[in-house]
Amino acid sequence: MADSACPTDSRRCNYFFLYDGSKVQEEGDPTRAGICFFYPEETPLEQQELLCGQLAGVCQCVSELSRSPVRLLRLRGSKFAVRMKDHFLWAFSCPPDIPDVSVCKLLDQLISLFCFYNGPIRQSYQLHSRADLALRWARYLTHLQGGSSELHHIFSCLRTIDSTHIDPLLLLKAALILQACQRCPLVLAGCILYRGRVVSTQMPPDLTVKVMVHETESYSQQDHRPVANGISSACGTPSSSTGTTPVFLTPAELQALCCPPVNRTCRSHCTPQPPPRPRKSRLLSRTLSDTPPSELDAAKLDPAPTPFLCLSDESCLSPCPSSSQATTPEFSPLHQSENPCTTDAESHDHDLSNEIASCELEEEVVRGKMANGCSKKVELRMDQSKVEARGDLILQNGNGCHTNGYHQEPASDHHSDQSSGDEPPDTSHLKPLSNGAEMPDKEEKKKKEKANIKKDNQERDENRQANMKNSGRKIEVKDREGVGDGEMRENGMGRGESGEGESSEEEQVLLPRALYQHRVRALVLALLVEPHFHSDQAAVEEVSHSSLASLNGLEAHLRTSTPGGPGPHGPYTFAHYDCIQNTLTTNLSGRSVAPQDRSFVRATALLHSHFSQTQTLQEAIVRSAGAAVYSTRSPAQETYFLQHATSVRNSGIPNHLDSAFSLPNKARHRLLKHGVNLL
Amino acid sequence: MKCLLVASESAEVLFYWTDPEFHIRVQEQYGPTSDDGEGPQHAFEDRINTLFAPIIISCSTMVDRLRESYTTFCTESNDIYVLHQFEECLYIAVNGDGEENEDDLRRKIFVIKKLTEVMFGMVTLSSTLLRKELRPQDTEQRRALWRRLQGLLETYSRLREQDQSFLVEAVERLIHPTLCEQCIEFLERRLVQQLNSSAERAGEEVQHAFILVHTKLLAFYSSRNASTLSSSDLLTLMLMVQHLHPSNPEIDDSSPEDIQDTTADPEVFYTPEPSPPEHPAVELGRTDMEAPMFQFVDPDIQMAEDSLQTLQMNPPDPATPTRVFLETTLKEGFFPMMPHSMYSLPLWPGITLVLITKIPSSQVAMSIYHFLETVAKLEKRLKDGQEGAVPQRGHTPIQDLRSKMDKFIRVLGNNEIQTSLLQKAWAEFKAKAFSRGGPGLSRQLVPYCRNLHTQLCGVFRQCFVSGSCSTQRLSPSLQDRALTMVQDKLLDWKDFLLVKSKRNITMVSYLEEFPGLVHFIYVDRAAGQMIAPSLNMTERASSELGKGPLAQYIKSKVWSLVGTARRYLQKGYTTVTQRDGDYYLCYFLWFENETGYKLEVVDIPSPPDSAPIGMLAWDYYRKLLRYYSKSHSSEVVKCYELFTMHLGVIPSDYVLQHCSQLARKLWEPSRIPLL
Repeated sequence: MADSACPTDSRRCNYFFLYDGSKVQEEGDPTRAGICFFYPEETPLEQQELLCGQLAGVCQCVSELSRSPVRLLRLRGSKFAVRMKDHFLWAFSCPPDIPDVSVCKLLDQLISLFCFYNGPIRQSYQLHSRADLALRWARYLTHLQGGSSELHHIFSCLRTIDSTHIDPLLLLKAALILQACQRCPLVLAGCILYRGRVVSTQMPPDLTVKVMVHETESYSQQDHRPVANGISSACGTPSSSTGTTPVFLTPAELQALCCPPVNRTCRSHCTPQPPPRPRKSRLLSRTLSDTPPSELDAAKLDPAPTPFLCLSDESCLSPCPSSSQATTPEFSPLHQSENPCTTDAESHDHDLSNEIASCELEEEVVRGKMANGCSKKVELRMDQSKVEARGDLILQNGNGCHTNGYHQEPASDHHSDQSSGDEPPDTSHLKPLSNGAEMPDKEEKKKKEKANIKKDNQERDENRQANMKNSGRKIEVKDREGVGDGEMRENGMGRGESGEGESSEEEQVLLPRALYQHRVRALVLALLVEPHFHSDQAAVEEVSHSSLASLNGLEAHLRTSTPGGPGPHGPYTFAHYDCIQNTLTTNLSGRSVAPQDRSFVRATALLHSHFSQTQTLQEAIVRSAGAAVYSTRSPAQETYFLQHATSVRNSGIPNHLDSAFSLPNKARHRLLKHGVNLL
Repeated sequence: MKCLLVASESAEVLFYWTDPEFHIRVQEQYGPTSDDGEGPQHAFEDRINTLFAPIIISCSTMVDRLRESYTTFCTESNDIYVLHQFEECLYIAVNGDGEENEDDLRRKIFVIKKLTEVMFGMVTLSSTLLRKELRPQDTEQRRALWRRLQGLLETYSRLREQDQSFLVEAVERLIHPTLCEQCIEFLERRLVQQLNSSAERAGEEVQHAFILVHTKLLAFYSSRNASTLSSSDLLTLMLMVQHLHPSNPEIDDSSPEDIQDTTADPEVFYTPEPSPPEHPAVELGRTDMEAPMFQFVDPDIQMAEDSLQTLQMNPPDPATPTRVFLETTLKEGFFPMMPHSMYSLPLWPGITLVLITKIPSSQVAMSIYHFLETVAKLEKRLKDGQEGAVPQRGHTPIQDLRSKMDKFIRVLGNNEIQTSLLQKAWAEFKAKAFSRGGPGLSRQLVPYCRNLHTQLCGVFRQCFVSGSCSTQRLSPSLQDRALTMVQDKLLDWKDFLLVKSKRNITMVSYLEEFPGLVHFIYVDRAAGQMIAPSLNMTERASSELGKGPLAQYIKSKVWSLVGTARRYLQKGYTTVTQRDGDYYLCYFLWFENETGYKLEVVDIPSPPDSAPIGMLAWDYYRKLLRYYSKSHSSEVVKCYELFTMHLGVIPSDYVLQHCSQLARKLWEPSRIPLL
């Protein structure tokens, strides 16, 4: 987790190359004409040609035979993840002990990274020279394999700051900064990074990874000069600088940013879940981002400014719900009911927002509608200390609240299940029906959008912006409360399906957006913005002004907080992987080479790949002569646990008194203090 | 969508097998094969050759230039290609229907390798000769051979898919101690004794005799001076018997698969019935695609008509034994592929008596193996750079080789065996190695060693593989007598045995003691035997598991449990428990000494070159036991495996208690002596 846990283990990639078959079609064409990029670059050209030529040829042959592109190619000493598209062939090789699924994921990440910064591959090779692009490939490659432990390789997860060593309020503050930025209609979503690790993000994990590359890169440049790259504008002092760089999003990604990502989570985990409720879930974060107006934005954007919130400590109250939900990885109702503690925290949180709203009348309405309508009044007087206490609780509960913006959504989706519709009034009271006249119009538009999801993205954006301005959406949602649950369900389902079809179809198209970056020493605020954000001086200023002070404050706090070693050590090793947030919690330091740790990593790799192959597998214990590893998974997380040997040698014959079979219990108890709840 | 291909380094197809779906797919994708005058079969072979040639060539390029070779390709549609190189032959197995995984495909490759070893013996030690053997020049011979191999491969796939003993690759015995003992006694006292004292045995000597009921072993007897039959060989023999007499389960529960099995029977080949009235090429594309196997081999039927003459001249005499090459350990040493004859005499449908005889000339095979070994050692020494002049006197290995080889060639000459090539190779070798002015023992000698090696294999082929074996056999009347004797003995038991083989052990008898237990498999790896409740999947016969989808589901879980366990075992994990859906699955492997004392676990080495874990093709467990015995040299080490499947609602504590009780309970029956 900590910075110290970053060995320079770059052996992960043996070879990586991009080969353009369209350049080598005639008999006489030399193979080298097709090699766009080859890593390691010092490989003799002859060998490059040999590998590229053979692999490309054989993959071509196999995919013709099978009428399907090759995905994985294994040699005796290594394996290659392969991706074939148009005439391009990417191949990424690594040692055979890394699971197939991880290698393929890595290659996909690498390719999408390239496309994120450079746009469609064919086009970028037309626009730029090979040498230029080779530099970029090398950079992305280094980024992906740089500085993480082998466990990180296995899960290809995000690197996050160690939330257990950070004052939770700081995380909340980071979240709030992001939400404040989001009030600018040109800002899609953002994340805050500190020393190459995620503090808080509103984006889906795969997008966060991409954004991080730029951050890391500019971070390393920091020593020499302020950031200035591409067409970006650079300004500021060495300690604080801003810049913009063009990026490209896939329609699916953009949709995930603009629309509630509830469906996406459904897609990636085909497990029974509460019916997705489009739109509604997004509401909470949007509400929050709308609420804390620093004076000037509010006037401009919000028809009904609510200036009673600002980025003071008090404001930390408001992101609380989102954080708490973010830290509750399991959002299935089943789990919720097993986990009264979380439920409780959540309902508190709703109240909290209500309190902030301080609109008694609306609240009455809400409470009337609440299914579990237990009394909340008492808790409404929430004082600072209580909030802090909650923050702690939350942090222990999950494994960090660094991804509030994005992940609150699945959770809040569920939460709306529980106490149906406490938010809409919550928001509508903030924006009294000032634009009621527009409402039906918007409503119509929304419905249309729902029916035809493949509609032009631009339109959707307009829609979104419009919504932001007039908050028609919220009203619409409020209206929809009356709609039967069944219908919502249908809508949700329909949406999910169409979304899926869409992603494959529109994969080719990439939509230009921009990445705005504001750096304060080691702290970076990265925002995905509309392409014209850069030229909109007012918007730039607004964002930078609204966040500068808080960023400085946050940076100072983060700098002074102790870096903290890896979590509390015990006579055990564990790894807890959150599949939704794509984060990893472990007490295994990257450097350790103890045999026990080696066997833990080995078992974890095997089990992880087993989990990914067998959907129905819930838990497993495997034991070799040296070590026994217990692993369990839910749709949202995977946990691996090894108890350090008490070195009782056994025969391997089935025996219920065997220490290996007590692992599940031990894991449950030991991991509680790491915020991993297996109960 | 399955295919298996053996190719030489020069991309020549040495053998191929495709299932109908693959055949159709290729036809669809590349248009129907044009008849080039040599028959559509030939055209399809050409096509297969063209399709795979780039892969084969690329593979040898990689080996030559990078010392690397492909092992697997996976496509996005989950087609799997597994490649494995044995010497100079490349084996490729393809699956595109998701029914087999990588391990299954690799296992299939190793099985076909094992089959060639059992069929061709030491000829397989020379790639050049094996190439010729697998792809005879003569079209008819080639087709007959390929047909046989294809049939064996299909039989294997069917058994692996349906039979638990072939799933875990261990022999399953019929559990009926009394009858079993009686039969063994009968085989020993009456049958084998009589056969071996008969004058009609033509010099052959019965070494092993056993009775199979479908794929289950009823009784097994080995004569006293015989070497033990290894599990790997026994399983291969069972596979061959199944191929010759496919268990055509009783008429009362024939299922579609069984019908297909019948058609896969090689005998269909000889019956005039499937002969197409018209030109087969026309019919090929037109006939309905659901039709079983023979529709797709029917290009050959034209060949069958052509070759009817040949076949009639050399009718498949049921009394002709099958030549098999089995591993033997004699007091003279270890010989991996010694020639034997296998007589499989069907007592009744489903029940077969199998006799394995040692043939009189097997002494020659021993000599050849001895020479091959010496030459191979010498070659290795020379390659390692240990050179020097040949000492002119003394009993050095090389002088030993010289005198023995001279003598050997003389003896062969007396036995009317063509030895001119061997003589020539030997003369060249001698000229280089022993002449005064010659290079002596140097690296230059390596090609001569090679040649000598090949020629020795050639002599082996001449003696044991090609034609001559048909003349040598137990007389048909003797075979008949043996058959009648055993039939008389088992007449009253026949129906019982057929039913028993379907319900060897039933789960019902375990339910009371182990509530929640759904299925288990217990394997004694030292003896190569397994015990498991029957899992009958046929339509009519419903087991305790019920029938239809549920039984099928449980079966698929059991099959995948075995696969998973192997995958973990390969990485050194000897205990695996999984909660999978509604079931709790366990796997244990452990070692005991002969008295049942549990020995502690050690780190288990992974098999080299990703060889499959099993006993049929590559005896992993024997190597495992040998490895383990190194640290326990004073005692006999036994190795056991237990697979269990419980309902998921049973608390895991109980599940584990069950497992340990079960292991204890099953320990007893496995003590029934095999001999």
